[in-house]
Amino acid sequence: PRRGRPCSRASAGLALLWLLVCAPGDAGCRLLTVADLFDRVIRHSGRIHSLSTALYEKRFPPRDNELGKPARKCHTSGMLTPNGKEYAQKIPREELTHLILKLLQAWKEPLSHFNQHIEHHQELPDDSLSKAKQISNMVHELKTGVEKVTEKMQSMGIISNSLNGMASSEATGLSISNEANMMSDSDFIHCFRRDSNKVQSYLKILKCRIMPENSC
Amino acid sequence: YSIQPMDSFFLLLVLPLYFCTSLGQSYPGRPKIIRCRSLEKETFSCWWKPGSDGGLPTNYTLLYSKDSEEKIYECPDYRTSGPNSCYFDKNHTNPWTTYNITVMARNEIGCNSSDPQYVDVTSIVQPDAPMNLSLETKTSASIMHLWAKWSPPPLADVSSNSHVYHYELRLKPEEKEEWETIPVGVQTRYKVNRLQAGVKYVVQVRCMLDLGEWSEWSSKRRIQIPDGKSPPEKPTIIKCRSPEKETFTCWWKPGSDGGLSTNYTLLYSKEGEEQVYECPDYRNAGPNSCYFDKKHTSFWTIYNITVRATNEMGSNISDPHYVDVTYIVQPDPPVNVTLELKKSINRKPYLVLTWFPPPLADVRSGWLTLEYELRLKPEEGEEWETIFVGQQTQYKMFSLNPGKKYIVQIHCKPDHHGSWSEWSSEEYIQIPTDFRVKDMVVWIVVGVLSSLICLIMSWTMVLKGYRMIAFILPPVPGPKIKGIDTHLLETGKSEELLSALGCHGFPPTSDCEELLIEYLEVEDSEDQQLMPSHDNGHPSKNAKIIPKETDSDSGRGSCDSPSLLSEKCRESRALPSTLQTQNVRDVQEDKGGKRSWETQCIASEQKIVLFNDESTKLSTWPTAQLPDNQPPMFAYHNPVDAHKITLSTTNVHVARVLVGNEEKHQSQYPIIETCHDDMEKQRGMENLYSKTDQTTVQVKQNRPNDKPPFLNPKLMDYVEVHKVRQDAEPAVLLKHKENSRKTEKYTVPGTSKEYTKVSTVVDHNILVLMPDSRIQHTSVSQEPAMETSQNLQQSQAEKNMSYCLTLPSKCKRENNGSEYMDPSSFMPSFK
Repeated sequence: PRRGRPCSRASAGLALLWLLVCAPGDAGCRLLTVADLFDRVIRHSGRIHSLSTALYEKRFPPRDNELGKPARKCHTSGMLTPNGKEYAQKIPREELTHLILKLLQAWKEPLSHFNQHIEHHQELPDDSLSKAKQISNMVHELKTGVEKVTEKMQSMGIISNSLNGMASSEATGLSISNEANMMSDSDFIHCFRRDSNKVQSYLKILKCRIMPENSC
Repeated sequence: YSIQPMDSFFLLLVLPLYFCTSLGQSYPGRPKIIRCRSLEKETFSCWWKPGSDGGLPTNYTLLYSKDSEEKIYECPDYRTSGPNSCYFDKNHTNPWTTYNITVMARNEIGCNSSDPQYVDVTSIVQPDAPMNLSLETKTSASIMHLWAKWSPPPLADVSSNSHVYHYELRLKPEEKEEWETIPVGVQTRYKVNRLQAGVKYVVQVRCMLDLGEWSEWSSKRRIQIPDGKSPPEKPTIIKCRSPEKETFTCWWKPGSDGGLSTNYTLLYSKEGEEQVYECPDYRNAGPNSCYFDKKHTSFWTIYNITVRATNEMGSNISDPHYVDVTYIVQPDPPVNVTLELKKSINRKPYLVLTWFPPPLADVRSGWLTLEYELRLKPEEGEEWETIFVGQQTQYKMFSLNPGKKYIVQIHCKPDHHGSWSEWSSEEYIQIPTDFRVKDMVVWIVVGVLSSLICLIMSWTMVLKGYRMIAFILPPVPGPKIKGIDTHLLETGKSEELLSALGCHGFPPTSDCEELLIEYLEVEDSEDQQLMPSHDNGHPSKNAKIIPKETDSDSGRGSCDSPSLLSEKCRESRALPSTLQTQNVRDVQEDKGGKRSWETQCIASEQKIVLFNDESTKLSTWPTAQLPDNQPPMFAYHNPVDAHKITLSTTNVHVARVLVGNEEKHQSQYPIIETCHDDMEKQRGMENLYSKTDQTTVQVKQNRPNDKPPFLNPKLMDYVEVHKVRQDAEPAVLLKHKENSRKTEKYTVPGTSKEYTKVSTVVDHNILVLMPDSRIQHTSVSQEPAMETSQNLQQSQAEKNMSYCLTLPSKCKRENNGSEYMDPSSFMPSFK
C-alpha cells in the first residue's frame, strides 16, 4: 500500500496531464500520430489478408505458386484500381484513399451475406466459418480505422477534403454487392483475398508517400 | 575347375554312407547343386535343386570343406540368398581356397546327398546386370547420336562399391535378329554413331568383374531414332518468378525437338480479357524464358501462360500455367551481410548482424515489404539454428559460444504470400575466447589472493589465538581476601589453611600470586555413604536427596540407566524449593542484615525455576554407553550465580548439594547430576552450557573402587571451608566442622580427620582441602609432609583441573585443549 499510493497518484497525474495536453481533436497531440494509425491499419489489413489466405488455401491447397483455374470475374474487378507500383505511386493521395475505402465498402455487405450463407449451408468446416466471421468484423474495423486516418490527414492538411463525394459511389456499391452475392464460395474467397492484399498494398504505398521517413 | 583330390574330399564322398544308414522306401531324392556364384569375389552363394522329398518334410543341409583343411563345416547362412541356397559372407569366403560342397537331404526315413561341387570363388564371379539404362538422341552439327547411360549393378554391401566393372553394350533394330555388340570399357555411358534415322533400336548392357563371367544382359530399352520429320514434344513451363514485385519471368523446359530446329513461343492472356499476347521479351532472362517488364506486369490479375514449340513438322503446346504475380514474388537474397563483434557493458561479446535488402527490391516505396530470417551454426555443427527476424535489417546475438567459428546466412521473403529467397552467401565469424580468459584471470587472481589472506589469518589465529581471546575477553579480576574468620576455624588446622592460601602447597607458578582467594570452601565427605550435610537443621533432606549406594557398580548402573538418572534429577530438582524457603528465612535472620542478599535470593529463586527446565533436558542425556571401567564425570550446573562449586566425589553418581550454612546467600545450589563418558559428550554439554548463563562445571574424577590401591575403602575426604567476607571483617568458615561431626557420629565416630592437603583452588575463591586417606587410620595429627606420592599426584592432577577453571587458557594446552576434563588423561596418575 505504501508504494501503491504514490504510484497511482503519479499515474492519475499523468492521465490528467495527457488530458490537458491531448485534448480531443488536437492536431499537436502526440498520443497517436498518423504514422501510428497507419501502422495499425496496415497491420490490421495484413491480418485480414493472412486470414483470407488461410481460408483460400483450405479450398485450394497451394501447389508451387500455381493457381488453379482462373476465378470468375470478381465483383470489384470493375473498379479501376492501380495494378502496379508506378500507377499506385502516381495516383493522387486522395484518390488512393478513396479507393481503399471504396474497396472496403464493397466487401462489407457481401461479407455479412457470405457469413449467413455459409452458416446455413455449412459447406465449409467450422474453423472456416469462424474465420469468415472474424474477417467480416475486421473489415468493418479496418474501414473505421482508415476513416479515422483519413479524417486525421484531412485535419492536418495532408490530403484535401475532396473526398466528400463518396456518397455517390455508395449507390454503385450496392449493385456491386448483388453481383458478389451471386459468386461461388471459392470465387468469393479468391476475390476477397486479392482485394485484401490490394488494400494492404495501397495502405503501405500511401503511408510511404505521406511519410517517406517512417520506416519506408 | 581346379580339382585337388584331398582327403577331405574323399571324406565328403563317404559322408552320405556314414549318415544315411537306414534306407527306407521313401527317403528323399538326391538334391542337385545347380550353381555357385559370387557377385563381387568377396562373397558367394550356392543354390541347389531339391530332389523328391519322399512325401515327408525334408531338411537340407549344406556341408563344405576347404582344400586346406580337413574339417567339415555346415552352411553359415541359409537365408540371405533365398530358399534352397547358402550364402557365404565375407568371413566365410576365401578367394584362394577351393571349396568342396555337398548338399544333404534328410527326412524321417533317411537321407540322400548330392554330388560334390568344387568351387573356386574367383572363377564363379558373375555380377548382376547393370541398372538404369537410359537412351537419348542428340543432334550435334546435324548428326544424330544415341547416348546410352547406365549405372553399375547394385550390391548388397554398399560399402564395397569400389569394384571396377567392364561393360558391353549391344543393340539392334527392333525387327532384326542380329545383335551388334560393342565393348564399352569401364565407362557407364556410350555414344552410338551411325544410326539409321527413323528406326527403332533395342539396347542392352552387361558387365563383368575382372576374370569372372559376364553378367546377364540388362533389361531392354527401346528408342525411336527420329527421322527428322516429327513435330516437337510438348514443352513444360517450369516456373514463374518475380524478384521485386514489379516484373516477372517465366521459364520452360523444351521437349525433344524432333531432330529439327524448333521455335518456342510464349503466349499469355490476362484474366477477364480475351486477347492473347505474345511474350514481350525472350532474351533478357536467357534461353527458354520470357521476361515481363513493368509495363506488362499487372498485379491482382491472373495470367494464363502457355508455350508452344513449333518445327517444320508441326507444333505442340504446353499445359497452361496460371500466375498471379502477387504470389510469385521471390526476392533475391539479402546483400552486404556484415557480422560485427561488440562488447556489452559487462564485457560480454555479442554479435551484431546487419544486412541490406536485395538491390532490386524497392522497399522504400512500401510496395514490397521484406521479412528476414537468419540461420547460423558452428562451423563443425550439423544443425542450423534459424531465427525469424521480422522486418528489421539488423540483429544482435548474445548467446554465442566463445572460441567457435560460426556460419551465418540470411534470406528474405515478402511479408504477404510469397517465397523465401535463396540463402545469402555464407558469412563466417570467429567468436574470440579472450574475453572470458581475461575474466578467468581476474577471478583466479582474486581467488588466490583471498585464499592467501585466509591462510595467513588462520595461521595467526592458531599462533596467537589465545592471546587474542584474552585480549578480546580479558579475565575478570577476582575479589581479594579481606580477612579470615578465625573463630570458625576452631577444629581445622588454620596454619595449614593459611599456608595453603599463601600458595605454599602449590607448585611455584607465577599464577599463585594472582590466585586471590576470597572464599575457601572446604567440604568434608567421609565416605561414599556420607554425603555432605548442608545444615544442622536439615540432615534428613540430605538423606533424602542422595541415594545410598555403596559401590561403584551401582554407581555405574545409575549412570547407565537413564531412568535412574532422571529419577535423581527429579530429586535434585525437588531440592531447591526446600532450600529456598529455608534460605530466605535464614537470610532474614542474618544479623548482617544484608538486604541485598535477600533480593539476590529471590532473584536466584526465579532462576532455579528456570533451571529446572534445563535439568529435565539434561536428565535425558544418553548415558547408557558408559564404559564399565571408565570413571564417570559429573557435571554440576549452578544456575544461581557466578559462584563456583567444587565437588569432590568418591561415589561417582552422587549429587551433592552444597549449602553454605552460615552464608545463606550462597546456599541455593540446585545441582543437577548427569553423566557423560567421553569428550564428545562433553562437547555436547558445552553447547548446553551456553544456554545457562552462569554455569560452572567442576569435575572431580576419582577412579572406581575396584581400581584404587590406596584409597579404598575410604577414598578421600574433602573439607569444604566457606570463607566469607563480612563487611570489613575477614572470616573463614570451615563448613566441615559441624557437618562432618554429625555425619561422623553416624558412621565412623572414631575417626577424626585432618585436612592437610589442599586439593584445589577453584575460581579464585574456593579452596578444596583433602585429608590424607592413609593417615586417617593411624594418626589424626599426621603431618602434610607425610603425604604419599600418589596423593601428591592426585592433588597435582586436581590442581591441574582447578587450574583449568581459573586460567583456562594455560590449562587448555596442558589438558589437550579441553575445558572439561577427560578422565582418561588423569588415569595414569592413579596407577
